[in-house]
Amino acid sequence: MSSVLWFQAGACSGNTMSFLNAEEPNVVDLIVDFGLDLIWHPSLGMELGANAQKLFHDCASGARPMDIFVLEGTVIQAPNKSGRMDMFADRPMIEWVKELAEAASIVVAIGDCACWGGIPATAPNPSDSTGLQFHKRERGGFLGPDWRSKSGLPVINIPGCPAHPDWITQILVALATGRAGDIALDDLHRPQTFFKTFTQTGCTRVQFFEYKQSTTSFGEGTRTGCLFYEFGCRGPLTHSPCNRILWNRQSSKTRAGMPCTGCTEPEFPHFDLAPGTVFKTQKVAGTIPAEVPEGTDHLSYMAHAAAARIAAPQWSKEDMFVV
Amino acid sequence: MPAVDLFVSPLGRVEGDLDVRVTIEDGHVTSAWTEAAMFRGFEIILQGKDPQAGLIVTPRICGICGGSHLYKACYALDTAWNTHVPPNGTLVRNIAQACETLQSIPRYFYALFAIDLVNKNYASSSMYDEAVRRFAPYVGTSYQPGVVLSNKPVEVYAIFGGQWPHSSFMIPGGVMSAPTLADVTRATAILEHWKDNWLEKHWLGCSVDRWLEIRSWDDMLAWVDENESQHNSDCGFFIRYAQEIGLDKYGVGPGNYLATGTYFEPSRYENPTIDGRNDALIGRSGVYANGEFSEFDHMKVAESVEHAFYQGSGLLHPWVGETNPVDPLEGRKNGKYSWAKAPRYDLGGQYIPLETGPLARRVAAGAPGAADFQDDDPLFMDMLERIGPSVFTRQMARMHEAPKYFRWVMDWLSQIDLHESFYTKPVEAPAGKGFGATEAARGALADWIVLDDGKIENYQVITPTAWNIGPRDADGTLGPMEQALVGAPIADMDDPVELGHVARSFDSCLVCTVHAYDGKSGRELSKFVVNGMV
Repeated sequence: MSSVLWFQAGACSGNTMSFLNAEEPNVVDLIVDFGLDLIWHPSLGMELGANAQKLFHDCASGARPMDIFVLEGTVIQAPNKSGRMDMFADRPMIEWVKELAEAASIVVAIGDCACWGGIPATAPNPSDSTGLQFHKRERGGFLGPDWRSKSGLPVINIPGCPAHPDWITQILVALATGRAGDIALDDLHRPQTFFKTFTQTGCTRVQFFEYKQSTTSFGEGTRTGCLFYEFGCRGPLTHSPCNRILWNRQSSKTRAGMPCTGCTEPEFPHFDLAPGTVFKTQKVAGTIPAEVPEGTDHLSYMAHAAAARIAAPQWSKEDMFVV
Repeated sequence: MPAVDLFVSPLGRVEGDLDVRVTIEDGHVTSAWTEAAMFRGFEIILQGKDPQAGLIVTPRICGICGGSHLYKACYALDTAWNTHVPPNGTLVRNIAQACETLQSIPRYFYALFAIDLVNKNYASSSMYDEAVRRFAPYVGTSYQPGVVLSNKPVEVYAIFGGQWPHSSFMIPGGVMSAPTLADVTRATAILEHWKDNWLEKHWLGCSVDRWLEIRSWDDMLAWVDENESQHNSDCGFFIRYAQEIGLDKYGVGPGNYLATGTYFEPSRYENPTIDGRNDALIGRSGVYANGEFSEFDHMKVAESVEHAFYQGSGLLHPWVGETNPVDPLEGRKNGKYSWAKAPRYDLGGQYIPLETGPLARRVAAGAPGAADFQDDDPLFMDMLERIGPSVFTRQMARMHEAPKYFRWVMDWLSQIDLHESFYTKPVEAPAGKGFGATEAARGALADWIVLDDGKIENYQVITPTAWNIGPRDADGTLGPMEQALVGAPIADMDDPVELGHVARSFDSCLVCTVHAYDGKSGRELSKFVVNGMV
């Protein structure tokens, strides 16, 4: 199986924690059963002490072949593009990232931070953080828009804050089992097999969305309704499989009554967390959602909504997720 | 500079977010510096943002403790907005955060701490082969179930909060979710499964109830020899092995402790206030310094940036705290060496460093005057008296919380009234001050928020890692981990694994590298790595 070097730049370790929640395969399976050669990982690496620094140099020089370079965490460029706000193994992390990305066959960005800067890149972006090949939605990032790995692929982005463990493990297994060719990427370099669908796809509240019935309140108010109308849910505007591949094998935020925050899209956190935007739907003319579901427009949305409300059956106005 | 390869743990790491430099003379550590090496600027990002932005941003400070960040960020707003939190809301918050900690305990113990127990330095121990059989990474007979099953408690978090890590389902006034019957029964069943298959089967070798009967060091020693099952459980084995290899002999630390406490008794905190906080806590808060207990008062907390990469001087309370970074290249010229500020506590006019974490919580649980609903547990005050603080004592404090919190969570699950409210909509006051705190797995964690004109005027976070690994202050007083490293005996100058044990026993949420220097020649003896749950 493949060799993987996993680094953390400006990271919270959330993607590693998420990875450790995986099952089928779990982390032990990946290494013991699938023979994943984890060259090094901040929490799990098998390599030893000072040898590891030599190992990084060997990986960077090509002396140690490296199939996949995984980066978790934002690329910290401050101050003045020196990268000194994130030092690693005696040098700015950005120098390691540059060299190791060039040396790997495939580069994978895990989590929003590595994909497009993430929360640390929120205005005013005090650490001058950016993603590997995107800065928010703009192409470029740290490596530049035209950068390609030795295999000819751009950075594969597995976004999310954090990424779901299955999005990570299944891609690693796919890459390791010769299925790189089956990984089709979208415009944001995300694997389409996960990110073509919407967060709303499979949401247990989708019938309420269909009839335009809103959740009225948090807590027991989430026993009914859709969170899109009042609570800022971005489920119809966000691409992810959160309601197809459940979290921790149990649930999802929207199922549990929490609005989707759109964390697999580059704009997360949306509206830069400006006052009045957190857990509140942005509206025009007091009632109409400022952002309507992807592919529609305000006029057709309103026509559909009016018809849907007329058609709404009685059960859609009552609690569904009851004791 | 000769960097001798000394770190033999199979889970090595060369360098990371935390650098620890130590000087060794005559076989003992004589000084230490802990350096946090990465800056992201969350406190700056939060300025001018939506009052609730901390619910989204602060969990992302640390993906290991995200649920704990959410918990205290929520209480900071509850106190600023004078909310009402129905008992169910408090119960669900308690359950979720405690499940995060139940995940952390075995994941930390096996994946990060116990792998050092198979260090070749201990090969002469008669128990070494058994340690390897159990704790070797990936293949150890205890490593596998301990690490793999650590994902079970956070399945319960996901049932209530949608996902773990990084949900933001706790909000001022309660929680977003309203669990159904099957949510509660499934949560109960998952935790029973985890208890049966890891906590009792591998770790304790006895029932949770039997372990919690232990009230003293003598009780614990008697427990080890009570029967084969307990003697040979991971816990029984660790108690015996740790003493054989001397983990009870060093890593003392400052001997002064801070617990901000966590988990509220629902009926006593329906209207969260800062003043009413201490009396509503199940896991008690408290300061224990110079041999005396005192009540925790957040107004006595202040931070020094004298040796941290920030502008400013003096000690600032977090409500007026500042975060103005400087280029580390310039900062080093002025004696600055870490991105962590140095939190200090005002004890009679003297600002002192305090150790935080499981041992500090266990000390607070031994203070006199507990109410009937509060944690009242003399075990670790007795252990401090009998064997003192050490790597071993700190480690046992952490592990003791697995059965204790398990019992608490099961009790809270049973208290949820599915037909009652989980949330009271708050009035979003445009201005105010708030304070929220909790105990993350690795210690005291708190937010201070100042709201004005409907947005965040100031937001300051003090993490347990800052308390423990913070640098020197203006007086030159060492931080707690720096103090704990000083005096550590180094049996093998070429392989100072003892330093790894000390650093890891704090379970800082940073990966750390230890650089060892010869105090006489200044030569770097070695550079090796201590894993962290970053």
